[in-house]
Amino acid sequence: MTNNPLETSSTPPLAKRTVEFRKGEVISSIFSQFGILFIVILLAIVFGATAPRFLLVQNIVNIFKQVSVVAIMAIGMTMVILIGGIDLSVGSVALLAGATTMYFINHEVTNTPIAILLGLLASALVGLLNGVLVEKAKISPIIVTLGTMIAIRGLAQSILWLDNSWAWVKAPLFKFVANESILFFPLVVIVMLVMYLIFWFILSQTSFGRYLYAIGGNQKATYLCGIPVERVKIFAYTLCGFTAGVGGLVLISRLSAVSPAVGLRIEFDVITAVILGGASLSGGSGRLEKTLLGAIIVGMILNYLTIKGIPGTLQSAVNGFIILIAAVLDRLSKVRSAG
Amino acid sequence: MTQSLQESPPILEMTGITKRFPGVLALNRVNFSVKRGEIHSLIGQNGAGKSTLMKILAGVYSADEGTICMEEQPIHLRHPSDSLNKGIAIVYQELSLLPNLTVAQNIFLGREPGKWLLLDNKTIFNRSRQILESVGIDHIDIHTKIADIPLAQRQLVEIAKALSHNPKVLILDEPTAPLTGDDTKHLFDILKRLRSQGVAIIFITHRLKEVITYCDRGTVLRNGQTVGCVDIHNTSESALIEMMIGQKLENFYRSDTATKHLPKQEVVLEVQGLSVGKKVRDVTFQVRRGEIIGITGLLGAGQNELARALFGIENQVAGVIRRNGKPVRISSPSEAIYHGICLLTENRKEEGLILEMSVKENMTLPSLAFFRLSKWIPVVNHRKEHSRVEEFIRKVNIVTRSANTRLRTLSGGNQQKTIVARWLLRNLEILLFIEPTRGIDVGAKAEIYRLLSSLANEGKSIIVVSTDHVEVMGISDRVFVMYKGRLAKIFDKVEVSEEKLLFEIQGGVPHD
Repeated sequence: MTNNPLETSSTPPLAKRTVEFRKGEVISSIFSQFGILFIVILLAIVFGATAPRFLLVQNIVNIFKQVSVVAIMAIGMTMVILIGGIDLSVGSVALLAGATTMYFINHEVTNTPIAILLGLLASALVGLLNGVLVEKAKISPIIVTLGTMIAIRGLAQSILWLDNSWAWVKAPLFKFVANESILFFPLVVIVMLVMYLIFWFILSQTSFGRYLYAIGGNQKATYLCGIPVERVKIFAYTLCGFTAGVGGLVLISRLSAVSPAVGLRIEFDVITAVILGGASLSGGSGRLEKTLLGAIIVGMILNYLTIKGIPGTLQSAVNGFIILIAAVLDRLSKVRSAG
Repeated sequence: MTQSLQESPPILEMTGITKRFPGVLALNRVNFSVKRGEIHSLIGQNGAGKSTLMKILAGVYSADEGTICMEEQPIHLRHPSDSLNKGIAIVYQELSLLPNLTVAQNIFLGREPGKWLLLDNKTIFNRSRQILESVGIDHIDIHTKIADIPLAQRQLVEIAKALSHNPKVLILDEPTAPLTGDDTKHLFDILKRLRSQGVAIIFITHRLKEVITYCDRGTVLRNGQTVGCVDIHNTSESALIEMMIGQKLENFYRSDTATKHLPKQEVVLEVQGLSVGKKVRDVTFQVRRGEIIGITGLLGAGQNELARALFGIENQVAGVIRRNGKPVRISSPSEAIYHGICLLTENRKEEGLILEMSVKENMTLPSLAFFRLSKWIPVVNHRKEHSRVEEFIRKVNIVTRSANTRLRTLSGGNQQKTIVARWLLRNLEILLFIEPTRGIDVGAKAEIYRLLSSLANEGKSIIVVSTDHVEVMGISDRVFVMYKGRLAKIFDKVEVSEEKLLFEIQGGVPHD
């Protein structure tokens, strides 16, 4: 590429070039910025036209409530995918957070806030373990998190087993979060939005966020800039465990019970949301706001299928195909940008 | 040289070629022709249109206007396979070989002879061997994996791959950029042999010396237009440079070498008995404040490993490194940076650029801590960062629309200047640059040379590792020659000459 015609070191018709070039780039950047938003709107129109109930305020609020869990867990997943990794263990971590927190509350070991902190700490520790195994032991993230997915679910189920494999969520704080809303906004949605704000800030305003993008873009170059690549990546996995824990607590508050199946297979919805949001599986690109839209798309489709009375088995088939389509789109966009 | 060259009609003629990209006129009615049995060099700065013109020949782009004639018949090239069918083969600058396949597998990649799913390995091996022999490459084992053979030989395999199509016109896009003098010579021996077989060779390079030494004719492009076609035997290097840039070029390397003052500054870096595995053996030297040391040698003589060891990215390093008199341990880039040492590696793409990030983000990556809101809050102060980056864009003269432009869209020279600026912004005392000007155009080269000498005048110590011995002679206060891992010779600026340097580079054997 010695000779990229768009950027020359000599300076012929500079003014003209700049204007036209910018026009083209603005259009394409609008599409890449808002393309997914167009899809959300398009889906809303199509779904609304074919199922009028879909656009009722009640239903929209419902979609957001349903989406909140996946969306929160997708925050950490975005960071992990950003650095070229993946975390399959988030569903099990969600259960672990719920099971430990409820154990501490129901057995009156501590008060609710401390129990929540301990539950989240446990989740973050699993994330840390994932990170250390991937980065220090150099095992592929799919294998590591597949292992922790199975192991942690077993561990969490054992904690539940102490209470006959079923724990009711009786703590008032959880009921409050699940049922109350401020104006039109249910508290679970507010929790989600606050999480997004915090992590949007971390990703876009801190050096840690910058390092994540740099590592995803070119890990070797980042290391050669003296950045502690391993530590940054381990921290990303730790944060992924943390957001999975937060998602798990929101989930059990909505379910008002912890069962051994909590969070089962949710990792696929989470990964789908991130990929739909345009994060590349090979790392380096991904924006939180788009991940949120990706989660909303997943929620909209599942909600629509439910309204239409499509059975759950078929729904998971649809879900699987969404992953595949998203992966193909990811691949195509890469081919185009390379060519 | 072929005598009938002047009279014979061109085998390939491009007339009035125009190519527009969104917002830029890449080629403006370019005329270009090559004859059978000549080595024709295509010369021009980055952005002059060389690669675009060649990509039109290769069928990658199609011209908006103009005609292409092959053996006086108009041809249309809409796809790379059209070009191959017409007998035009191209070897790109970025090697396209698959590292995990063998030499033979690579040569026949994608068109393996055989029936159904069974490969006809025998044919593959025999044909590969034949092709390699026909170009005089008999020292490469066709069963070796590409990853296991040196870069120079990969280049030859790439050429063999192109030749397996029996081309009438062979295009080489900067084939010598990663090669040393000997390998280059070998490459040209092969090209001369092809020339005598009647192949027309189009040769793109930044090294005008090679043009002068080996080519028959040359066409110079500037800003997408043909400046002229010259007979190389009647021209000089400086005449070519002036055609390329359209103005007089003086003081190409350093302007201030004569006025260098403060001869004996303090020693800032001392290397004693440094070895890196078997690649660098027992190297000892000192670096003073404000001096530029150039290290040269044949490819693989250990100069790259030496520099990389000083940055903590080589294994099996033995010996002592002293910074300002104190022994230091450097086993990672972060430790090296802590001790005031930075490195620009030879692999710009793999080890330097983060193409999807902006110029700004690339430039401040090692220095983000400077822009923290406070010592303990790792939040980036964007305004401070932005103004500092703009300052360096101006200082290093990076041609970019803004600090937020993605690095991918910049030319090679400007990408290189961006990662040079990355370390200037970090403001360390010792700068190690490996092949800082490889693959960039003359104009950007001159700017990097100027930058190096002004940095030295500011008191920075600079080590430039380069296989381009002319460059090393031009910019350095002292020239180190490495041979087979040892520091074979240290020249002072005043005593070095090209003959002496070449003599030492070859390991002290006479150079013809």
